[in-house]
Amino acid sequence: MTQELTVMMLTWEFPPRIIGGISPHVYHLSKSLAKNGAKVYVVTCDFPGAPQHEVVDGVEVFRIDSYKNPSPNFATWVYLMNMNMQKEAAAIVNSLGGKVDVFHAHDWLVANAGIGLKHVFRKPLLATIHSTEIGRRDGIRTDYERMIHETEAWLTYEAWKVICCSNYMVSHVRWAFGLPEDKLIMVPNGVNVQEYATNKNADLSQFRRKFALPEEKIVLFVGRLVYEKGIHVLINTVPKVLEKVNAKFVVVGNGYMKEPLSNLIRGLSLTHKVMFTGFVDEETLRNLQRCADVSVVPSFFEPFGIVALEAMAAKSPLVVSDTGGLSEIVEHDVTGVKVYPNNLDSLAWGITRVLLDEKYANWLKNNAYKKTQEEYNWDRIGRQTKNVYEAVLNEYSKSFWA
Amino acid sequence: MQVIILSWEFPPRIVGQLADYVRELAAQLVKNNVETCVVTYHDYLTGQHEESGGIKTYRVSNPVRTHIGVLTWVLTLNQEVERAMANIYYNTNKQIDLLDAHDWHFIHAAVTLKKAFNLPFIYSVESLEEHRSHGANSPFNMAIKSIEWLGLYEAKKVIVKSEWMRDEVIRVYKVPIDKIKVVAPKSKTWMKDILETYKALEEAQ
Repeated sequence: MTQELTVMMLTWEFPPRIIGGISPHVYHLSKSLAKNGAKVYVVTCDFPGAPQHEVVDGVEVFRIDSYKNPSPNFATWVYLMNMNMQKEAAAIVNSLGGKVDVFHAHDWLVANAGIGLKHVFRKPLLATIHSTEIGRRDGIRTDYERMIHETEAWLTYEAWKVICCSNYMVSHVRWAFGLPEDKLIMVPNGVNVQEYATNKNADLSQFRRKFALPEEKIVLFVGRLVYEKGIHVLINTVPKVLEKVNAKFVVVGNGYMKEPLSNLIRGLSLTHKVMFTGFVDEETLRNLQRCADVSVVPSFFEPFGIVALEAMAAKSPLVVSDTGGLSEIVEHDVTGVKVYPNNLDSLAWGITRVLLDEKYANWLKNNAYKKTQEEYNWDRIGRQTKNVYEAVLNEYSKSFWA
Repeated sequence: MQVIILSWEFPPRIVGQLADYVRELAAQLVKNNVETCVVTYHDYLTGQHEESGGIKTYRVSNPVRTHIGVLTWVLTLNQEVERAMANIYYNTNKQIDLLDAHDWHFIHAAVTLKKAFNLPFIYSVESLEEHRSHGANSPFNMAIKSIEWLGLYEAKKVIVKSEWMRDEVIRVYKVPIDKIKVVAPKSKTWMKDILETYKALEEAQ
């Protein structure tokens, strides 16, 4: 190709619209692709106050009217939003003289638009599957869920390649939709280490005092307070850990388990040792991750485990359950400690081991930080993704569509 | 002249009156030397065919089998309609002059192709949600109405089958009267009026 590679990203969320993990993912990926010499257009849903068209870090962003059509439920809203997204995207591609090389759709939320654009302009479609209906719901029960499941299957069927962020998700998606192995590609999620490097240390000790006494070690949990995140296992290890170390447990996030767990802590007379912060703003979260003496991810189910990467980037030693994407991110005794999922003794052992041995904790966090720079940095991920586009375009150039 | 007609019913799939009307329309167009391709739905008789009388058909099925209602069913079917239209478009070396979309079902596809390739389209109104739903205004009805509105807004011309329908389209959707053409199916000038409307759009292009 003599011209620069042009990609049109389709996503239902892009900053400042942030609903889940797709928004920061597409933002960092697009920015990194642009840095690596690709022309990137992002077509996404509108957001109050955000312009319809702007250039963000070298990425051209178009926001479409996504609440034009009244909808009886979420899935119908998604399909109607896709109708508007598709016609706007078609007009943009038309105005560019058809100069888009690939369409890249993120999850079923933009499946229709991606598939339609692929056929109308006869350009390859790539799909990143971040999560699946069958995984989110642990099975398919209703027609509504099956419709979404089949829409996901349709997207993976129409996509030239399907990208997943962990080997665990690759095998999950392969199983869920019966895909051939060579259609799936693993490109990891990334973390921006710069976001954890800016503040001065002096501020941090002041900041730390809001959460713990100087002699207390901070044990940090970040996540929704729901069953699959294993927060109840962590709360139950509190007495065991306190037998050996003077620590403060800081729990960030909300969820239906918050109340029963705070009641449990009250019953144990340990309210002074466990702090529930609820949601916190991004800066507070970053600072907390930076002063945590150990970050714990005790999940039972985790497609990727971005919170583990964040802890690694923040140079906080890490204890994780050996499950899902976490198993791949952490190497036991090298970049963190892996413990058995849903096992109190194992989790308490992991936490105390890190807290009691400062040398060991330093070894872990330094290795982990190095790994985020080597494997999970967005620049590398952008290049990997660009390589995927180029490989697909090479195949495409030999097809009858070219 | 080459025209793509969009209709969610076409023989052998007959839901209401539209199927027979569209077949008659396509047959008469072919007789008048208009290259006509009908893109329609069938569950399993999919693909391209040449029917008796020289009408070309392209039938697609729904890629998503499970649905919660006709609205979501229509919304996922449109991408297959677009695929069929794109195939016709590229196979005829981009020589399509006009799209004629019958009722709301494939408006989505017609608007996308208009935006992508600057193709003019006609919205032929058989019926309106306003009358089908007897004034019901649930989000489901409103969503269908919003699609009808989009079609009336984006269309170059609106064809209706009676003066009553013309007045209803104006009343419900505030469409300017000069955008609407009344062509009565049983009248003697029916085909002449259709051809004139098609040719006027082709020339304006």
